[in-house]
Amino acid sequence: MGRTQTDVVIIGAGIIGSSIAYHLARLKLRVILLERCDIASGSSGACDGLVFLQSKKPGINLQLAMESRKRFDLLARQLPVPIEYKATGGMVVIETEAELTAMRQFVAQQRESGLDVTLLDGDQARKIAPHLSEHILGATYSPLDGQVNPMSLTFGFAMGAKALGARVITGAAVRGIDITAGKVSAVETEAGRFETDIVINAAGAHAPEIGALVGLGIPIRPRRGQIIVTEACPPILKHCLISAKYIAAKFNPEIAKTGGDGVSIEQTDSGNFLLGSTREFVGFDKRTTTDGLHRIADKTAGIIPALKQVNVIRAFAGLRPYTPDGLPILGPVDAVPGFFMAAGHEGDGIALSPITGELIAQMIATGKRDISLDDFRLSRFADKGQKIEVSNV
Amino acid sequence: MSDLRISSVLRGAKIKIFVNGKGCTAYEGETVHAALLAAGYRLLRKTPKTDQPRGIFCGMGVCYDCLVAINGTPNQRACMARVEDRMEIEVDEQ
Amino acid sequence: MNNKYHVIIVGSGLAGLAAADILSRYGVHILVIDDNAHTGGQLLRKQPYAGRGSKRFEPDRLKRHGARLAARLQKDNVQILNGTQVLGIYPEHTLLIEDSRRNVSEYRADSLIIATGARERQLPFKGWTLPGVMSTGAAQILMKSSGILPGRKTLIGGCGPLLLALAAEILASRGHVLAVLDQGSTTMKLKAISAGPAIWPKLFEGATYLARLAAARVSVQQRVRIVEARGRQHLEEVIVADVDADGRIVRGTERSYPTDTLAVGYGFSPNIELPQQAGCAVKFSNAKGGWYVAVDDTMTSTVADIYAVGETTGIAGAGKSIVEGRIAAWTILNKQGAVDWPTYETKTRPLTRQRSRQVRYGRFLNQLCRPQPDCYADILDETMVCRCEEITIGEVRRQLNNGFTTMNAIKRATRCGMGHCQGRTCGPILFDIISTFTQRPPAAVGCASARAPVKTVSLGALAQMTVNSGDDHEGRSHG
Repeated sequence: MGRTQTDVVIIGAGIIGSSIAYHLARLKLRVILLERCDIASGSSGACDGLVFLQSKKPGINLQLAMESRKRFDLLARQLPVPIEYKATGGMVVIETEAELTAMRQFVAQQRESGLDVTLLDGDQARKIAPHLSEHILGATYSPLDGQVNPMSLTFGFAMGAKALGARVITGAAVRGIDITAGKVSAVETEAGRFETDIVINAAGAHAPEIGALVGLGIPIRPRRGQIIVTEACPPILKHCLISAKYIAAKFNPEIAKTGGDGVSIEQTDSGNFLLGSTREFVGFDKRTTTDGLHRIADKTAGIIPALKQVNVIRAFAGLRPYTPDGLPILGPVDAVPGFFMAAGHEGDGIALSPITGELIAQMIATGKRDISLDDFRLSRFADKGQKIEVSNV
Repeated sequence: MSDLRISSVLRGAKIKIFVNGKGCTAYEGETVHAALLAAGYRLLRKTPKTDQPRGIFCGMGVCYDCLVAINGTPNQRACMARVEDRMEIEVDEQ
Repeated sequence: MNNKYHVIIVGSGLAGLAAADILSRYGVHILVIDDNAHTGGQLLRKQPYAGRGSKRFEPDRLKRHGARLAARLQKDNVQILNGTQVLGIYPEHTLLIEDSRRNVSEYRADSLIIATGARERQLPFKGWTLPGVMSTGAAQILMKSSGILPGRKTLIGGCGPLLLALAAEILASRGHVLAVLDQGSTTMKLKAISAGPAIWPKLFEGATYLARLAAARVSVQQRVRIVEARGRQHLEEVIVADVDADGRIVRGTERSYPTDTLAVGYGFSPNIELPQQAGCAVKFSNAKGGWYVAVDDTMTSTVADIYAVGETTGIAGAGKSIVEGRIAAWTILNKQGAVDWPTYETKTRPLTRQRSRQVRYGRFLNQLCRPQPDCYADILDETMVCRCEEITIGEVRRQLNNGFTTMNAIKRATRCGMGHCQGRTCGPILFDIISTFTQRPPAAVGCASARAPVKTVSLGALAQMTVNSGDDHEGRSHG
């Protein structure tokens, strides 16, 4: 097959890979974006569109998310596909006293990190979201939260990259990565061989398979999130919302055990409700389950009872790339010069895609970065005692 | 358009249904979409994005074009529902 | 919960009934599920209050047989749930269903027979979404199930011999038919001889229809295509034109039929969504009407103890449905030990022979119903292709040119198939368009994946369902 020389090869045309491709192409680098199936055929095409700041852990995660959010308006203007971004404001609904106590503390932490968020009581919450159930005790609200169309955003990045000269090759599974004199030198695929000094692993839940090609152990596991899609309805939900349990379950595994999955409710531009979501470790099983459908339906109908009458037209499941510490894996891997990581965003991929693309592109094009990515490096797991093998290749 | 009813067919009991508040005749055993067609309602809904008129298309519950509100519940397939006495049906304005 | 059966049959059409008929004779506990209010599927629709005065002789002996099967089904060991839809099938043969009272629950079986039948195929033309434009099936159902004519004067268009059957039915109901316009050719139909003996009853049937139409002076034309449906709030006028052998419009031959009712049909496509969701492999063949469930000679799918029968395994009409239903029943009886191997062989050998004849007939039928592959080029850009999401064929063409050239890629790039019907209407059309554009094999173009729920269900019903832990030992256990 043909040989091609290029500056950067990106593996995976999901939201992260496509964003990086776009930002690199803007910086005039030659990019090849490889995808084994289709653009957004993985989790980026099977998720909700929440761009939520309130759900991010205060600290580097929240910081990154706040920076990322600022880019959406610009992207909405720049990208060739309408991305349906709206800063609708977001709510975290509180249903129990225990949650109320936890959220009071959480809000204090968030405000300290600079997030504009307010605690509302039940009546105030129902004033801005009239369809909320009577049992809701309160909610935290941030005007900075919003939503986007994740598939459109992925397409926007990929098509935008293409328009700027990047090559997007679908149906091109990666078979191998060549290392010459200890450095990355080429990528072998079903669609040909691509010579390059720089490879970016943006393969999401499949990032470990790509890492294995260069002898790296990558601690990313697929975590299934089932989502229900309803028929289109007249607009009744202005602010997207998640449940306090969602946040609690994310950071406190004990609550996750008893409280189970969290709840997210979003009404898209086309009027459909996206109701999520489970959090299950079931390998790469993308089926929806009776139990999952039931749990999501039960919880979301509990929060907005008017939804009971609405018809579910389909459901899907996305395999989100989960890491042990809840932070993505970003940046160069010292053990394999030329190999970069950009995966493991779990449920935050959409919201963090603009900043991830920008920072990685910046790092590669100029060697500099505005925000340090040290906290996100792959080697942090080794530092904590997790083994990462590097075999002789 | 009551001449659409085939005269040789024996029907169930005559009942009254309401379409957008207006009373009309139907017969037990008929599907809602058939009763609406016989009563002269061809346009059942207008599409949300481009305001296109829609009516009966597949007649067997597959296409979801014939959506009407039945007794207050919106988005019901008229071809899969049978008429009942005093049933209230809402179709979009013609 | 007593929701466990030896066999659950999804679909009470001819295939499901044929299977149930045999199984029930051996004391097997059967549940038959159908989403329609009546039993008998698409072919066996009779007016609910048809009394003596309105009974007409059913010329189709297979339908007469089907009616007898339906009547014979009133037995203690057979339960029938009408108005019930299956939302999904899960491992160890658990079905998630929504019944006629909108309750969602689970049922289990040792074996499943999927007999979900077929739906009609369409070829879009500008204005095909207007009220007054309906499928030939819709017209048939209005008459058969509710005793109402589709319109005062019906124009019939499309492809294939079933158009004649509709015309005859309208005339028999004292309605008017403006004309029957077939996009195919007489030459194709004359090749009927090669379709084998299974076609002879159909030829006879067709001849009686033609005679009836001739007597009523209804024009039957070949190589004529529906070009446009015009009207503001509903259909007012249909534009048609002659086509060449490739189905391409011959410019200058356009003419108009003023009417408010147009019935169109272009063959059928197997309903594969449920078996797909259950994990059964599907294959593609134009000879079978499109994507179909792959089965072996015993009617077993690629999932153990799940059988697929009837139009689901390939469009071929009533004859094949009945035969396959029977084969599946014998296979299950043999597997469960109720019938020994020599008996199984004796019963199924003639059935397997009949099946090949019916499959051969089906190949021919599908050829007649299928519009010419190149004819899509004439469809105007502004024509709707995804009716639910209101996407035009122009948008699809745009994305094809952008490099989105598989079913799933087009679905993601255009939203086609994401509406209420989940691609049941636009899917087969899109597949043909993508195949013609890319010239790639079916597996490369692909088939949209199916996830539960495969039918719409209210959120409230899902919220309220009782999720069983699964009882094996109550009531109906096999033995």
